[in-house]
Amino acid sequence: MRRRSRAIAGVAVLALGAGLAACAPADDTPVLTWYTNPDAGGQALLAQQCTEEAGGAYRIEVSVLPRDASSQREQLARRLAAADSSIDLMSLDPPFIPELANAGFLAPVPEEIADQVSQDVAEGALQGASWGDELVTVPFWANTQLLWYKKSVAEAAGLDPAEAPVTWDQVMDAARDQDLTLGVQGIKAEAYTVWINALVESAGGHIVETPEAPAEDVALGLESDAGREAARIIGEIGADRLGGAGLPTQDENASLTQFQGDSGSFMVNWPFVWPAMQGAVEDGTLDQSFLDDVGWAVYPQVAEGTDAAPPYGGINLGVGAFSEHVDEAYEAAACIVQPENQAAYFVSDGNPPSSTVAYDDPEVQETFPMADVIRQSLEQAAPRPQTPYYNEVSQGLQETWHPPASVDPESTPQESTDFITAVLRGERLL
Amino acid sequence: MGALSGKQKVAWAAITIAVLLYALFPVASIIATSFKLPSDLSSGTFLPTTWSWTNYEEILGPDGSAQELFLSSLRNSIGISLIATAISCVLATLAAYAIARLDFPGRKLILTTALGVSIFPVISIVTPLFNLWRNIGLYDTWAGLIIPYLSLTLPISIWTLTAFFRQIPWELEQAAQVDGATTWQAFRKAIVPLAAPGVFTTALIAFFIAWNDFVYGISLTSTEAARPVPAALAFFSGASQFEDPTGAISAAAVVVTIPVVVLVLLFQRQIVSGLTQGAVKG
Amino acid sequence: MSTEITGATAGTTERATRGAGPERRSKPVRSDRARAEARLGWLLAGPAFVVMLAVTAYPILQAVYDSLFRYRLTAPDDRAFVGLGNYGVVLGDPVFWQSLGVTTVIMVITVAIELVLGFALALVMHRAITRLRGLLRTAILVPYGIITVVSAFAWFYAFDISSGYVNSWFDWVPGISEDLNWFAGRGTSLFVIIASEVWKTTPFISLLLLAGLAQVPGDLEEAAQVDGATWWQRMKRVVLPNMKAAIMVAVLFRALDAFRIFDNVFIMTNGANGTTVLSLLAYRTSIGRLEIGLGSAISVLLFACVIVICFVAIKIFKVDLAGARGEK
Repeated sequence: MRRRSRAIAGVAVLALGAGLAACAPADDTPVLTWYTNPDAGGQALLAQQCTEEAGGAYRIEVSVLPRDASSQREQLARRLAAADSSIDLMSLDPPFIPELANAGFLAPVPEEIADQVSQDVAEGALQGASWGDELVTVPFWANTQLLWYKKSVAEAAGLDPAEAPVTWDQVMDAARDQDLTLGVQGIKAEAYTVWINALVESAGGHIVETPEAPAEDVALGLESDAGREAARIIGEIGADRLGGAGLPTQDENASLTQFQGDSGSFMVNWPFVWPAMQGAVEDGTLDQSFLDDVGWAVYPQVAEGTDAAPPYGGINLGVGAFSEHVDEAYEAAACIVQPENQAAYFVSDGNPPSSTVAYDDPEVQETFPMADVIRQSLEQAAPRPQTPYYNEVSQGLQETWHPPASVDPESTPQESTDFITAVLRGERLL
Repeated sequence: MGALSGKQKVAWAAITIAVLLYALFPVASIIATSFKLPSDLSSGTFLPTTWSWTNYEEILGPDGSAQELFLSSLRNSIGISLIATAISCVLATLAAYAIARLDFPGRKLILTTALGVSIFPVISIVTPLFNLWRNIGLYDTWAGLIIPYLSLTLPISIWTLTAFFRQIPWELEQAAQVDGATTWQAFRKAIVPLAAPGVFTTALIAFFIAWNDFVYGISLTSTEAARPVPAALAFFSGASQFEDPTGAISAAAVVVTIPVVVLVLLFQRQIVSGLTQGAVKG
Repeated sequence: MSTEITGATAGTTERATRGAGPERRSKPVRSDRARAEARLGWLLAGPAFVVMLAVTAYPILQAVYDSLFRYRLTAPDDRAFVGLGNYGVVLGDPVFWQSLGVTTVIMVITVAIELVLGFALALVMHRAITRLRGLLRTAILVPYGIITVVSAFAWFYAFDISSGYVNSWFDWVPGISEDLNWFAGRGTSLFVIIASEVWKTTPFISLLLLAGLAQVPGDLEEAAQVDGATWWQRMKRVVLPNMKAAIMVAVLFRALDAFRIFDNVFIMTNGANGTTVLSLLAYRTSIGRLEIGLGSAISVLLFACVIVICFVAIKIFKVDLAGARGEK
């Protein structure tokens, strides 16, 4: 339960924990189990704080889920399918929310709470927390990818992404001309779907056109100009080796490693890279001069002049339908997502708030000089397809679009449409 | 064997070095990785540039981000494997005694069943087990892993022990009885000392197998209440969710490998004799 | 109790001639004593027998039953009987045949390599002088004792393009350079998967072969040596024929074990680049996608494959499981 790495936070929580143990609440205090995705300990800290604030109304205990999003979904879906009453609160990756909501695994959000937690929430995050026009989870933190770049490389290419939005083609040309590599996520995993989706959405299309349709009737939007354009960009980056040799296995972490190396140029990645690079400087494995050369901007555009639709990720809080303490769980969720908590969590764990006011926090502004860019990116961000069959769609995409070098704008969109449709009809295996 | 010629000596030295390299290199490799700083991982060298205990602090230190996760899984792994080993040793000892000593219809059936169970694809039964477990409340409990672990440990235990027991000169028992000892005394004084090494060896092999399990571990648990180490490695995270926990996983891997190496060092003779006599499954 | 034990000891004297089994006894003698012995036998062996059946037979029957339904865990109301429909889907899908192919390739290659390597290690252990024997055995047992997942991580990190060192060590080998991404291609991924599987499980096969070596009559070999046979001739004419049974058993067990390969593939590629094996396909379908019906069908087919391999080995290659253990 107690997991943390930041020393100060650790000491604080240990003290809290010790105090808590000393005056353990009476036995009839409802204990809420909060299944969290692994982080640097921030969620455990928030659990302690809200337990304190509740003054005995409930006590939150955290239980950690696996690292990758699909395994988190596996664990939760299986327990919920078993009508497990021990699941009170869940940290949910947004793409999997429709599946759980559609299956009736999420307790409905009380109106009062819904009003309270949807105030000042970034548009992308609000969408991601909903299913069928209704808020089904409580928006917690919201992630988005930025374009990170080496100022020196951008300058040499005559680009200034911070001033004027750049396009994928410009970024690709810059890498090609200077014989450098682009940091993108080509690994056969969720990260790859994130990239594909952002490209399709930025080109004005949608991977799934009818997200709320039953499995057999789901219509895909890949066989479109947007789908073909996304395929062109990915195929070109793959075939021209612009992503480096590591592309087919490159996840977010590997992209960062590559970016920090000599061949790094531009990279699309989540904001965690900022504290990670700072940490490397503190460890002495990265020069301060490198950090000074790093710039950031909103995600690249597909078509010049059309705003990009950057990836949206993050975590929303769901309440288990079979929980014995639904009301307390929603109170706890409302406590956890208070803007000041989101700000503190951003500072301690590097996960950006879904609340737009949290970005005004002075500490946030100081720790993350790119906070305003993140907020802007979140307003533009588009969620991944919100269908109960997201898992099939995402894995089907990965199956047909991997490795990146094999992607052909003429054939891949159609292949993947056929394949995913067949999988959804139960005619094919994944 | 006494005197080796100079040439033979060189040959044996070369062979020994080759075998040691083969057997220990991957272990050395993960040990080296476990001492690397996160930013040192991409250096492309075998040894760390600077040796660091950071990864071990993550999993063992009081402030380590994976400490609770790792230690609870270690506790689970040790407890569950030991209990599964103990139960399968008791059951297998009884069964093997009956098979080796008694003439009864069904001996062959039991041995064949053991064989059948040992070749069973674990993945085939994990989903039905999951459904059953959640219905009867065994999901995510120690018992919920111990029972399926028996399907891994029992068959080999029965085969190994049967082989051992067949070599025991049971006439000793008779002789003791003739000398006036009761049945129990005869069993205890004459047979137990002879059978004990076999049981111990079997226990070691069974423990290794239970300790190695991964599929049951990831499928039948969901919290720190029962999650064993191999499954827990997938739960480690770096400083944030997107950073690879390479260092922490390596350190944990080294920690769980230490007991194996110690057991092997102490009991290689027994393990070899056990495996060569009744091995069914590795 | 005491009568039963006496009955048991009576059985022992017969042990030397066992083989035909209890039924060889004449009917009248098979009286109380035999019945008591049988009862005690089942009393002692029964619990183990029941446990083994309970944890395997019940679930596989359940899987057979589940495989007849369309059933997705997140849509429980949608459950419907589809007969053999799921099998139709699985068997009609190239993904299944591809994973069966990959699984078979892994099985054949690992077993072939392990047989040679394992035999070499067995010979080393068999011939080693006493001083070295302990050291060699200990070293060889280390991979055997290591958790498969740990070994998979060790190999993965060594070859991985960002955290590995293999590329920089072996860049003088044609085809290997700093830019080689082992886990981006099918052949190279399978190479590492097979290498880790071979490393981890060769000790087991070599111990089985060591047991077989111990059964080769020493005098035969000596006689051959006196006759001036070369090392290779002795191996071919004396040692290998006498070890045939042990080799067959070792191959069969390792083959079945390799056929179930899961851990390494799950850790290293999770099925990317066409490295999906049958176990992983079953896991992904029933546990990842929560398609219990389809997943169960794959599980049942996987089980059927294991039985077929076993049947072929026993009937066609005449693997004598009992004989190899010196239990004749």
